[in-house]
Amino acid sequence: MLSCKELVANSSDYLDNRLSLSRGLEVRLHLTLCVNCRRFIRQMKISQAVYRKMQLEKAEDLDGLAQKLADAQRSSD
Amino acid sequence: MEYPEDSALLSRLLSGEESAYRELVATYQGSMRAVALAIVGSRNSDEVVQDAWLAVVNSLKGFQGRSSLKTWLLTITANTAKTRLKHNRREVLMDDLPGPHGTIGDDRFADDGHWLMAPHEWHQDTPEAMLLQNELRECLEKTLGSLSNMQSSVLVLRERQGLELEEICNLLDISLSNVRVLLHRARLKMFATLEHFEETGQC
Repeated sequence: MLSCKELVANSSDYLDNRLSLSRGLEVRLHLTLCVNCRRFIRQMKISQAVYRKMQLEKAEDLDGLAQKLADAQRSSD
Repeated sequence: MEYPEDSALLSRLLSGEESAYRELVATYQGSMRAVALAIVGSRNSDEVVQDAWLAVVNSLKGFQGRSSLKTWLLTITANTAKTRLKHNRREVLMDDLPGPHGTIGDDRFADDGHWLMAPHEWHQDTPEAMLLQNELRECLEKTLGSLSNMQSSVLVLRERQGLELEEICNLLDISLSNVRVLLHRARLKMFATLEHFEETGQC
């Protein structure tokens, strides 16, 4: 059976749906039996969600850029 | 057009509607920067992104809608960056600098592969609640700042822009296995920081 260490090594591929059929089955079987790894996967998903929600763009002048691009488009007509 | 969700935006862009450009910039600037950063590095990435935007505006009229707007924009960005690089051949940067709170490494496991230190239950487990903590946010930013350019770009393109791994390979000219490794390392470092903060309450 897959060890916890191997499960962690395969965790990103699992989250991205990239595992082979047999490895995918091993991972799911392991997860039904192992509370620690279930928690790990759940927390990996939380951590992905946190990252997605973080505001990364610095106070950059995106509106200024948009205006410049719109002007460039209009003047190219 | 095969991408109907793009076509409304496209016609607004073509008529030079400023709000359409604001929408475009807000949606894609981060990913365009990630592509540029991965290919030319941080010193030249801002310039590449600017050049790419101008190329986008110049060729908007010729956009046929054979790919999604997203793929088209990111391909222009990648091409602009690669042109910039033409003369210096690039090696795939697989540098892996240690994150501030490490990763989920071998030391977490016994010799038989079982957890030695299994993850604990987290106090907060909705992302919204977690991000209300300023200190945690700053702490995560520090960890993101410690990622290599390649790691942080792959993370942006996958997690924020939702690209398929194959699209990332094609844009950045790196192998699928490299993309998977980069993504996995980056995610584990983010995880380690969240876990550390949950357990100690500090960065």
